[in-house]
Amino acid sequence: MTTGESAQGPGMKFFVAVWIGLMCIVGIEVIVTYRHLPARQLLVWLLALAFLEAGIAVWYFMHLKYERAALVWSLLPALAFVVFMMDHIWPDAFRLMSMRLLSN
Amino acid sequence: MEVSAGHGHAGLMEESPYGIPSGKLAMWCFVLSDAVTFSAVLFAYGYLRVGSPDWSTPFVFVPSILNGLVMTFVLLTSGLTMLAAVEAAKAGRTAAGTRWLWATCVLGALFAAMHLMEWRHMIEEGWRLFQNPLGGAVQFGAAFFSVTGLHLLHVVGGVVALAIMALGLRSGKYNRIDVEITGIYWHFVDLVWMFVFPLIYLMNAK
Repeated sequence: MTTGESAQGPGMKFFVAVWIGLMCIVGIEVIVTYRHLPARQLLVWLLALAFLEAGIAVWYFMHLKYERAALVWSLLPALAFVVFMMDHIWPDAFRLMSMRLLSN
Repeated sequence: MEVSAGHGHAGLMEESPYGIPSGKLAMWCFVLSDAVTFSAVLFAYGYLRVGSPDWSTPFVFVPSILNGLVMTFVLLTSGLTMLAAVEAAKAGRTAAGTRWLWATCVLGALFAAMHLMEWRHMIEEGWRLFQNPLGGAVQFGAAFFSVTGLHLLHVVGGVVALAIMALGLRSGKYNRIDVEITGIYWHFVDLVWMFVFPLIYLMNAK
């Protein structure tokens, strides 16, 4: 992260390399899908790869890497907090305990 | 930095802790709230999926997954052309920036067209919001059409915004900051698809 005014990117060659990397991750997702894993394992794999892809996109494509640290620390913890609350704390989340995915 | 102080008092204003224009900060706040919206929709889909004992997995590799892969390629490539537009606008190359914005716009429109063709194909097969031609959980249609529909709405909105931006950049109405702000939105649309494709398509592959 920079502490400067804003976003000076590394240039298009770097972004093309990132784009190729993202396409490779998509390819891995499809390969993992056709290994016919149990639903729970497949979900974990696909979510992990999706978060990796999203992280790369936010960091480089959306230029968050080149913004001040204050912006990153204002945005990402807030999002993580809300998503965590929604998935783990709100009452509906507890229903998952008795649902099909965990009983497989 | 553009600060909307007005009346010649800009020098008296405290500097933004983020060092970015207010419009860009507003777009980040919108992206944050929209990310929560999509999270909620995807969580709802997750609850429906794990709560239904007869959930359908209708997507075969050809045409559904292959079509999804091509759509992913088109959308990711539009992210690259958007970056080229931002870089060109930053360098003051307005004509190049405008061309890259139109390229992004065309790719976005192509993605939307492919998506609508897929919807048409599924509707012809008998899928509806609350109708499953395979006889499984009827919630599949509701989940599929609502999640992909919300994303498609964002794509169409983005295509319109990109066209307005391309016209405005050429005429001098908009500047490089405006292109950057549009870029943040467009990359977010791209980012959401990175979750929609694996969770909606690949998790339901036959």
